[in-house]
Amino acid sequence: MATRTAVEKVAAERVTHKRARPRRNELGVFGGLAHLALFVWALLVIVPLLWTFLSSFKNNTELFGDAWSLPAELRWENWGRAWDRAQVGRYLLNSVLVVAFGTMGTMLLGSMAAYVLARYRFPGNRAIYYLFVSGMAFPVFLALVPLFFVVKQFGLLNTHAGLVLVYIAYSLPFTVFFLTAFFRTLPTSVAEAAMMDGCSHTRTFFQVMLPMAKPGMISIGIFNILGQWNQYLLPLVLLPADREKWVITQGIADISTIAGYESDWPGLFAALSMAIIPVLLVYIIFQRQIQSGLTAGALK
Amino acid sequence: MASIVLSNVDKIYAGGVKAVNGLNLEIKDGEFMVLVGPSGCGKSTALRMIAGLEDISGGEIAIGEKVVNHLPPKDRDIAMVFQNYALYPHMTVAENLAFGLKLRKMPKPEIQKRVNQAAKMLGLEQYLKRKPAALSGGQRQRVAMGRAIVREPQAFLMDEPLSNLDAKLRVSMRASLNQMHERLGVTTVYVTHDQVEAMTLGDRVCVLRDGILQQVDTPQNLFDNPVNLFVAGFMGSPSMNFVTAELVQVDGGAAAAFAGFRLPVPASTFTEKPGLDQYLGRKVILGIRPSDFEDAAAANGHTGAGWARLPVRAEVTEELGSEINVLFLIDAPPVEHKDTVAAKDADEDGEPIPLAGDKSLWTARVNARSHVRPGQQTELVVDTHNLHFFDQGSGLAIGHPANVGR
Repeated sequence: MATRTAVEKVAAERVTHKRARPRRNELGVFGGLAHLALFVWALLVIVPLLWTFLSSFKNNTELFGDAWSLPAELRWENWGRAWDRAQVGRYLLNSVLVVAFGTMGTMLLGSMAAYVLARYRFPGNRAIYYLFVSGMAFPVFLALVPLFFVVKQFGLLNTHAGLVLVYIAYSLPFTVFFLTAFFRTLPTSVAEAAMMDGCSHTRTFFQVMLPMAKPGMISIGIFNILGQWNQYLLPLVLLPADREKWVITQGIADISTIAGYESDWPGLFAALSMAIIPVLLVYIIFQRQIQSGLTAGALK
Repeated sequence: MASIVLSNVDKIYAGGVKAVNGLNLEIKDGEFMVLVGPSGCGKSTALRMIAGLEDISGGEIAIGEKVVNHLPPKDRDIAMVFQNYALYPHMTVAENLAFGLKLRKMPKPEIQKRVNQAAKMLGLEQYLKRKPAALSGGQRQRVAMGRAIVREPQAFLMDEPLSNLDAKLRVSMRASLNQMHERLGVTTVYVTHDQVEAMTLGDRVCVLRDGILQQVDTPQNLFDNPVNLFVAGFMGSPSMNFVTAELVQVDGGAAAAFAGFRLPVPASTFTEKPGLDQYLGRKVILGIRPSDFEDAAAANGHTGAGWARLPVRAEVTEELGSEINVLFLIDAPPVEHKDTVAAKDADEDGEPIPLAGDKSLWTARVNARSHVRPGQQTELVVDTHNLHFFDQGSGLAIGHPANVGR
């Protein structure tokens, strides 16, 4: 899906933003090459997005014609068809619900675990950390069959709650890995000042450290939103029966088959565009906050 | 307000490093106590143990009458100012100040009152709505102070609070700190590695080295009667001049002989320093403060009894405006005692000068009216009443009350 590239874009911009900063003023050979690479990358991201949006206004004939041509007219009926017949509206809502709870749960549990692992010394700290991190080595496919039976035995098959829990489990390893590193960079003396001011450990975390970790939280939050939004395999396995509960990825996949042999390609692109827009919005809203460091002013 | 008493306090880190070793210290109610020492001497660790940020490995710490060994920081009723300020970056100045009070469930009008009072006292009134990022270093420093003041705690703990400020601001903040202590009268424990800060701020100063207490006394007493070579070398700038000298009996009294000089030792010195007579005919380490020198030409009238003449060649002169530091060579090898080396390492401008070779480089602080220039032969006078004598082996000051019987 096109939104997958948006993930890479987030990552790419973060990386280049960091690297480019110290040498902003000297644009040598490497600077030129870097800009060229960024330009190519930008094209790779923008062109498929534009193509998807434009295609959602074409009809089948135009679609199979020249890829660079513009649609003859803005055919909003494609969007209407996707919304009505393919129930994209319902699927979008389901997706929003599942991803909202999934991400919130991941962020809450992940940040708490990461903070403790980063800041407190206790026996087994490293062991727990590596256990989390090793979770990143497990591909979704590997555990799919046992996972199905576990969820089924909990009675959570075909429920959004089951899907949310599985999402959280799969998102935690990277979240903990990322946030542990982030919490380590935050100054310890601010937490100590909070202790002196009378904060309990819990309050120190929620009222002092978490606000300071906002840039990291937003980065990993976006990463999780994108990852969970684009998840297809897990809902396919865990929400098989009830169409009403499907998420957007299942819905879109269904569009190509809903019309039988005569595939509704423009409708598919319209649905795709609808799935892309919320994610784009999330990124645009939070983009600025990612870049601004929040620890500014805490120390000297 | 309360006194703070440390009894036999130890801090042993994992790996067996003893950061603080059997520290006994009584900080009186309302006293301004400065902990000073070179980096790694355990002064910050001691402070953090009082604060409750570090566990105590052994001994007892009492604030007021209460033993606080196992109390968390918030229940010790103390406030701390950190070296790097440690402000809450996401809160405004007002919120930063009020945070500790809110946590203590203080009624809102009272919080407002205290915040306004502190802000007025520190000149922060027009910055109350700003976030720390929009403040200058000095302003942030004042917010950090304010956060401690509004709490009205039993004691203030300060961990090198001025070390991140530029030199000029540091001096003015030092004065404000003094004023603030005068006004609030709160027991204060202040950690610094800067001996000038220690001398100017402290009611009493506690010198630490390798986790062991060296001496606790008023700044003037520390300067006049250092207990050992380390304290003598560490306190005072420029630092004390040392040489290995022999105490010899001459007709009409005693003298310290070194490098071809003979400095008469007044009889009063022997009565002031009991036990010094036993060193007659033996070698001791002699210490002379740069400020006990004077230019013979400029010292009108000071050339009477108790002042000995010392003809030297000025190698370097540092003109400071109000006085001149004259650096000159003494034809004797530099004193290589573990204590003097340790004190020198701690001193920022204590780099050895290889040009001196096998001679020791001494400093004399003379009046600015002196016209001594580099390369000139000049005559200095020494106030022989203020000679310091140290045992060669132990490095302890001979005849110091604390050392008698050791």
